[in-house]
Amino acid sequence: MDYGIEQRDQEAAVRLRGRLTFNDHAKLRALIGEMKQNKAKRQVLDLSSLEFVDSAGIGMLLIAREEMVAAAKELVLRGAVGQVKRVLTVAQIGKIVTIED
Amino acid sequence: MVVQTPPPRTRFAALHGLAIADDRLARCATWLGLPSEGGKGGGGPTLALLDGPQGATEAAAWLPPITAWIEPTADDDAQPSLTLLTTRAGSVDLYVNLTTETANDLHLAGRILTALTARHPLPQDRLDDLELALHEAISNALVHGNLEVAGMKELNAAELERFSRDLVQQMANPTLSRRRLEVAVTLEPTAMAVEVADEGNGFQPTPMDCHGASGRGLNLIATVADSIELQDGGRRIRMRFAL
Repeated sequence: MDYGIEQRDQEAAVRLRGRLTFNDHAKLRALIGEMKQNKAKRQVLDLSSLEFVDSAGIGMLLIAREEMVAAAKELVLRGAVGQVKRVLTVAQIGKIVTIED
Repeated sequence: MVVQTPPPRTRFAALHGLAIADDRLARCATWLGLPSEGGKGGGGPTLALLDGPQGATEAAAWLPPITAWIEPTADDDAQPSLTLLTTRAGSVDLYVNLTTETANDLHLAGRILTALTARHPLPQDRLDDLELALHEAISNALVHGNLEVAGMKELNAAELERFSRDLVQQMANPTLSRRRLEVAVTLEPTAMAVEVADEGNGFQPTPMDCHGASGRGLNLIATVADSIELQDGGRRIRMRFAL
């Protein structure tokens, strides 16, 4: 998995690309650190270029959400398609994290 | 003088080396009583031998006529071990037996899907589901089984750091990273049975074992598979899927 962060006015847009699995633990640690440090209150994870996510990837997104709550920020998951959209639905992640189309 | 195990009775027509040294491949060919071929052979079922992930990263390494992928051990028991694994490989339609390190480097679930779809084309939705189930079963076996790394129980960055540190540390332990992962696929006309086995300590599943950031893997498999069954104290999962 790779990611890029784009800073807007009130929002940081983080585009995730590729496959998010348990092997991406180091990248997720770095990403969570960057999201905590930037100024935006609203952190949007753009999942439209993410091709695959596993249960550990979902777990890491939930950790990111908890860390944002602790830093008084909002986390949004946006634009999931295909397998990623299906896993978010099956695992009922919408009950915990804000999901936008 | 080491007592040699007789060559196995097997359906394989040939051996194919994937980045394995020529002399080692020749020795294995003698043990198994099979011809070794550099390129594509006569098209009969072929057993591929690996030495690490090199040579198995191309899609062609996962396409017919290859139906089994084994990473032979370099230990003293190399000959009886390879004979036993080849016999097991011959009893199913697709068979993989690799070290933990190699299986992880190869992103094995996707490779097995390549092999499967070459024999049984499937719509994209079904492929996504099968890849997820295979990936979850394989990563459970690698991470929690062979590497003995506990899942992320707490929802915080410290727990992610703990998981990250444990995973790197355990993968660097050769005793653990050389533990083996086995995947066996049996194809039926309208269904597929997949077994994934590890060499870890096993585990006792508890109902709804889902807390914090971890524990969703088995539940995800259960939503995709028609049935799942844990065997050998949790070291083996058997899954059935309609095709």
